[in-house]
This record gives sequence, structure tokens and C-alpha cells, in this order.
Amino acid sequence: MVAIQVPRPPKSAFNPNRPVSALLKAQVEYLHEAERRLPLRYRSETYINAIKTEGEASEYIREVTEAIHNAHAEAAAARVRVVPKRRAVIEIAAVADERAERKRASTAKKRRPRKTTGESGRKK
Amino acid sequence: MPPGLDKLQHIVVLMMENRSFDHMLGSLKAVNPNIDGVTPNLSNPDTNGSPVPAQALAEFQAQLQPDPDHHFPAVDLQIFGGDTSPNRKPNMQGFVKSYFNQQRDLNHSQKIMYYFAQKDLPVLTTLALEFAVFNRWFASIPGPTICNRAFAHYGTSFGRVDMNLIYINEPFKSIYDRLIGATPKHTSKLYYYDTASSTMEITNLLEHQPELFGTFPQFLDDCAKGNLPDYAFIEPNFNDHDTDSGEEVANDQHPDHNVQAGELFMAKIYNAIKTSPLWPNTALLIVYDEHGGIYDHVVPPACKPDQFTASANDTGTGMPFAFDRLGVRVPAILVSPWIPKGTVVDRVFDHASIPATVTNFFLGDYSPRSPREINADVFIEPNAGPVDAARNLLSLSTMRTDCPDFDV
Repeated sequence: MVAIQVPRPPKSAFNPNRPVSALLKAQVEYLHEAERRLPLRYRSETYINAIKTEGEASEYIREVTEAIHNAHAEAAAARVRVVPKRRAVIEIAAVADERAERKRASTAKKRRPRKTTGESGRKK
Repeated sequence: MPPGLDKLQHIVVLMMENRSFDHMLGSLKAVNPNIDGVTPNLSNPDTNGSPVPAQALAEFQAQLQPDPDHHFPAVDLQIFGGDTSPNRKPNMQGFVKSYFNQQRDLNHSQKIMYYFAQKDLPVLTTLALEFAVFNRWFASIPGPTICNRAFAHYGTSFGRVDMNLIYINEPFKSIYDRLIGATPKHTSKLYYYDTASSTMEITNLLEHQPELFGTFPQFLDDCAKGNLPDYAFIEPNFNDHDTDSGEEVANDQHPDHNVQAGELFMAKIYNAIKTSPLWPNTALLIVYDEHGGIYDHVVPPACKPDQFTASANDTGTGMPFAFDRLGVRVPAILVSPWIPKGTVVDRVFDHASIPATVTNFFLGDYSPRSPREINADVFIEPNAGPVDAARNLLSLSTMRTDCPDFDV
């Protein structure tokens, strides 16, 4: 079967300076609400009421969408880092217990009377 | 079990923007009389009372400016022709009057009646003629984008008829949450075009479950590698923007974005699925969220009310709305190599049919769901239990080898 040709839009179809539509304004509003719940370091410096074109809207949408993903990624990474620290504390405690045990054993050994070695001929 | 249903593992939905059935597919009445498209007698009165016929004069861009009003009060005028009496009947005679209100230009208002010639939409019209086209798929409510898309994700708009933020409270979960929370777990993904376009509708899910989201390049990659989720929802590019790899033209077909860009987008999605190892196991639904204020001749039917009501204040018409009437008709096509060529479906559907179908197919019995979703028809029969042959669209006993290809 012969493939059906699909015409491409002309170059003039692209217009990032097109005035922002009501739909895009609504989308910007939704993402602005989401942005307000992000930690400060993830927030944009965009005043959304100043967004007038599709290009400006797209930049803001990109920034907030990526910030949400990044915030989640950072939280996931922090979750993984926390677990080894807890293991280190447990290990430190175990090592401390072992040291205390060795010390007790060593002290007890010193208190026991020395054995003589008559066969070797050494003086007692 | 019919083999098409038996093999079905993936359902993909693409939702485009703001074009009516007659506007996009009305020309096909002349090709297939079973398609309920445009006939010579269709018209709307202008503000002088003169009839304005529907004509195949639609253009790809720069014609429908300003953007035709598609908010609740305007759509009420379009459907009821300006009649606000208690026992009024819908007549689909208010489109020209509604568009006139925006610019007070008699000649310009007539363009709301224009539709595309078949040759101008090679992708959409080919898919409609080759697979299954729905004569009676309606927007879920006679209103704007956000509420209608909510029905596709949740089976309800939670009582909203406007574009304000939807604060999602339980008890109805999104179709994505239902699938990933099921036992055994199913997979679902929402593919937005890129981060500069993002998700239009469900920022609440983006905030809490960003792993549910992917990009369009990821969709293409997932198709190629046979990694599609059980359920995938695709959002088009909603804005013109620059990227590191060049200019990205909006392809959602929302006026005044270029319609050809949307055709190209649909062709890429179809090609990706058709060349995927998952082609025998996938069904693709292409549907539009609402009519965009553009003419259609079919009266939206009444439907089972939702459990929510929009107040007279919220509707802006002075009358409350019980979600008991559907919105204007939109293009809807189901693609699968198991569907006979030239299938035309006359049953009534709306966007609540999407979560209804996906839930029934993958999860079977599930609650809670909105009354609208419970009563919505499904476009794919559940694959458990006996299958009603009269309803099953994936009815072929052998897979087609004559499906079209698009050169993009």
C-alpha cells in the first residue's frame, strides 16, 4: 500500500509571540498553585500576570514542571542517603560493645595468677 | 473469546482540542452515507435571520479568530438557539449568533459553519474510513476544556463547568490511580509532549506522582521497544515554543493553532504504534475534548445525572445544571488491526466512557465511580465472560494486513 503523504505546516504556523489563550492562562494558574507548594529554592522568579505570549507561558510551564520533577528526584535521593547513616550508628555501637568485651576479657586475664613453666627451667 | 480482544493488552488514548465532528469529519457523509456528517440542508440563522449554510471552506489557521467561545453560557446559546424558556428544546441553531457576539461582524460570524474538505485532513479522514468512527461521541458537558478532560481522567468534573482549578477530593480516583493501586498492579502513564507543554489538566497528579508522567519522545521509544503501559494517555503540544532542537509548533489543533500540525502529530502516533511489536495488542482512541464553539448538527442527548450540580451562578446562564445533558459532538475514532474497515458506531459515548472502558477491561468490577461513569457505554468489551458480538468492535478473526501507512 502506498504511504499517504502528510503535509507539514508552513513556517508561518510557528508564532511564540501569539497572545496567550484562556486555556494556557488556566494552565499557568494551575502550575502557579503547584509552584507555591514547592520549597523556595525550586520556585521561579516569574510574575505570572506578566505572561502575555505563548512563548512566555511555555517557559514558565517548563520551569515549574521540571522543578516538580527535580524536587521529587532530590527527595528520593535523600531517602537513599539516610539508610547507610543508620547502619553506621548500629555498627559503631556494635564495635563499641566488642571493644568493651575485649577490655573486660583483658582485665580478667591480668588478674589470673601466672602459671610456672618448670620444664623450661625458667625461674618462677 | 475473539482474538482481537484476547490479544488486547494496551489501550492508548489521544485527546485533541476544540473541533466539532461536522467541522472535521462532516465531509465523509459524501464518502460513506452511514457517517452522520454534513448534508446540503444544514444551516444556522445569522443575526438578521438569514440562513448560513455549512460549507467546506475551513482553513488550517488564521480563520477562526477570535477563538470561538466555548464556555458554558455560549454553548447554551449554540445548542438552544437563544431559547431560555423552561421547556425549551435543543435545536443547534445558535452557532452563528454566538460567534457574532464576539466581534459583531456579520460576515466573519458565518465562518463558524465552515468544515474541512476530506483532502485537507488526510490523516483523520483516512483513519475514520479505515477503522471505527463514532457517530455519537459527545463532549461530557456543554462547556470548556478543563471540565471535559476531567471526565476522561476521573469520570466526572466534580460539579465544575468552568475553567477554574479543580481541587480533587475523594471519593473518585483517577484512572491512573486505580490501575497502579490495583492488585495485581497495572501500569499507566500520561505522556505530555514535553515539559514546556506539560499536562494541561492534572497538575495534582504531577505534584504527587510525577512518575506517572512521560514525554512524547518516551512514548515513541516505548512503542519501539514494546514497553507501553497497560493504559496510556497522550496530550498534544499546547503551545508554540523553542527548544534546543528547534521550533515546536503547537499540534493540539485548538484555534488558532495550525490544523496540519495536529495531522502530523496523529500520523506519528499511529505510525509508532503500527510499527511497534505491540500493534496486534493495542487499540488507539483518537478523540477531541470539546467542539470549540464550532458548528455541529446533532443534538446532544440527555444522560443520567451526575451526583453533582452546578449552581445558576456557576453556569452563568441563570439556570443550574445537573450534568444531565451531554456536550456537543466531537470526532472520535478507534484504531486497531482487528477492526473491520468502514466500521461506523451509532451508540452514544462521552469522555466518561474512557475510564469506564479502561477500568472494566483491566480491573473488572470496581467502585466507587461517579454515576456518569457507571452509566457510560464502553468502546472495548471487557475480556472476561461472554462477549456480545454485536458490541465488539475488535471483531475480525484474523488481523488486517491492509492498514494504511502515513509518510511523515
